[in-house]
Amino acid sequence: MRRGLIARSRVELPDVVFDTRLERLRAAMGELDALLLYTNNTRPAAVSWLTGFIPYWSEAMLVVSRDRPPLLVVALTLRVKPWIERTSRVAEVIHAPRVGIETARLVSGRRADTAVGVVDFDGLPAGIADDLRAAGARLSLSDATDLFTTLRARADPAELMLTARASSIAAGALLRIEARGSIGEIVAAVEKEARRRGAEEVYVAMAPDLARDRRLVRIEGAPRLGRRFSVRVSVAYKGSWVRRVVTVDRDGAALDPAEVAFAEAVAQLPNDRVLSQFASFLVEGCCAAQPLEALMGTRVAAPHPPVAGAAVSVQACIEVDGQPVLLGAPALIGSSGEASSVFP
Amino acid sequence: MGSANSFPLAVVRRHRLLAAMEAAGIDEIVVYGNAWQGDYLRYVTDFGILEGHGIAVISADGATELFLDSATDAERAEAEAPGIMVRLAGDIARAVGARLDRVANHRLAAAPRRFLPAWLADAARSFTIADGTALLDRLLMHKLPAEIDAIRRAARLADDAYGEFIRAIAPGRRQYEIVADLEAYLRQRGCPDNFMIIGSGGRDVFGMTPPSERRIAAGDLVTTELTPAVEGYYVQICRTLVVGAATAAQAGAFAIYREALEAGITAVKPGATAADVAHAENDVFRKFGLGDYVTSKYTRVRGHGIGLFCDSKPHILEDVDTVLEPGMTLIVHPNTYHPEVGYLVLGDAVVVTDTGVEVLCTTPRELFEVPA
Repeated sequence: MRRGLIARSRVELPDVVFDTRLERLRAAMGELDALLLYTNNTRPAAVSWLTGFIPYWSEAMLVVSRDRPPLLVVALTLRVKPWIERTSRVAEVIHAPRVGIETARLVSGRRADTAVGVVDFDGLPAGIADDLRAAGARLSLSDATDLFTTLRARADPAELMLTARASSIAAGALLRIEARGSIGEIVAAVEKEARRRGAEEVYVAMAPDLARDRRLVRIEGAPRLGRRFSVRVSVAYKGSWVRRVVTVDRDGAALDPAEVAFAEAVAQLPNDRVLSQFASFLVEGCCAAQPLEALMGTRVAAPHPPVAGAAVSVQACIEVDGQPVLLGAPALIGSSGEASSVFP
Repeated sequence: MGSANSFPLAVVRRHRLLAAMEAAGIDEIVVYGNAWQGDYLRYVTDFGILEGHGIAVISADGATELFLDSATDAERAEAEAPGIMVRLAGDIARAVGARLDRVANHRLAAAPRRFLPAWLADAARSFTIADGTALLDRLLMHKLPAEIDAIRRAARLADDAYGEFIRAIAPGRRQYEIVADLEAYLRQRGCPDNFMIIGSGGRDVFGMTPPSERRIAAGDLVTTELTPAVEGYYVQICRTLVVGAATAAQAGAFAIYREALEAGITAVKPGATAADVAHAENDVFRKFGLGDYVTSKYTRVRGHGIGLFCDSKPHILEDVDTVLEPGMTLIVHPNTYHPEVGYLVLGDAVVVTDTGVEVLCTTPRELFEVPA
């Protein structure tokens, strides 16, 4: 559940940003009369992209019609209405414990056989889908995921600025690592700095001893810290998520060659020719509802490379002299003929 | 086989699950989880999901496959939940569907079924998945001694964390800076997770939310519920403090909440219902002419279950007839708006015992004061 800063900045996200995105969406709706976008705290990306709304708890459905301002049907109680209105841009907030029933009632109230597209229809919670069908028996429901992901794939300038800010927060947080600190002190320092800088959410993971295990885990208790360890911080800032990974060698071994190799490999994206030569790699980005989905990587069976202009997060494990170095950073995919680039 | 106490908690839970499946005639159970509703999945896999969807398929022989669509969480699960077969799948519904196609003639159940991806629950599939939510709910509500032990440890952490919260409050500080301090305090203590919301101000404040940029000011009532987790088990504590000296109105209002909390805790005993506890709390407010403020317009619940989710069943409401039994863990919190002073909270975690109730938190039930 979210517990970082959730606040709307009309400087970073003026109304026109959301209005422009909505107009693009409406223009792409084709024969559809309405579009439904579900959100909860693990699948907030589609709705936050259109409204800024981020559910710290519970669930909601955004209803986008051709000719009316968007409605947000939320399961949160009425007491939270002022908070929603303060932190997002929605014309009307409707509170109902069963968001599927209320959404179907609203949409079918205008015309019973309305053509309704649902983003990520297959992934919608079954209870919500059942409620939509029960309360809107004549609604024509179809999947509209492709329509949305096509629009969403390339980051617009506002998203790039938020990604840059999230990247800066993550980088600043990782600077708080004291190589000689305890594992608890390291995790606490990274998380505190990210939250203090305004992160909406922070996840810190560590590979405490790369000589034993190179997998990044959430820390509970106080496992032993090895000579070389890695820290990953995943940071959300106003709906934009990034990951950064650093490796620390407590004996001071230089890791610069790995960092250079990583940047060179990222620059080739969406071509993964160089990245795929590393011990492992992963490229994640936002397609629809989940902020960071696996797009390409060592373990990704069906890759879908990011388009030019997409903001992604890249992680890699690079072996230098037989020793693993874990690195990660957000990146912007270059247009045709341009190199991709790591966010500072 | 040794006593239950000699096995890791996850193994004991697994034995309990398999016994319940056998009793219900279930061959495979499909369990869904995400970071919001992660308790069912945590119970059966011991994995605390953070990103994306997770679906576990557990066979009657205990074999467990965990499907995840987040690559980072899949890597974490392999390290954090040994003994589980982890499968990374971009289209998790179809990956689980392909697994279930192989056992389409088996008796399948899901929990919580209403959260399953719609494609998986669709009638067009080769298999039919019954609703097994009630089976898991029983296991989640009735805690084993080892589960209660984890909750006790979380309660000690919650008490300590509230002390840190008091130290973090000062005029001029922003809400999110205070939360940053608290989260860091818990991480330093090896606690990986916490849920907390916060409120500050006066009569203009009707509840708690994630932190904002609002600065703490003299005279503010500052409310929070802290919910740290140990081994996945959450405990909650709710307290209110005043920046400066409490006014007579604030102190008087708080006394009502303390009386309501005490009445609610007194009502917790085996055989009582969740409704009995809610009535006991609410009757105190009614006695003081504040009956309107125990309705859904001003308050969501008068407490709730705690365990692998920070807001689990049963909800403490006047229309919930769940019978309380030994081993259940709850928070009783008569949190609501007071028309003279604003939103106030006060709540303690408890465990239902064979003879009554044991309070897990030790923080005094005071309206704390910090320097203005």
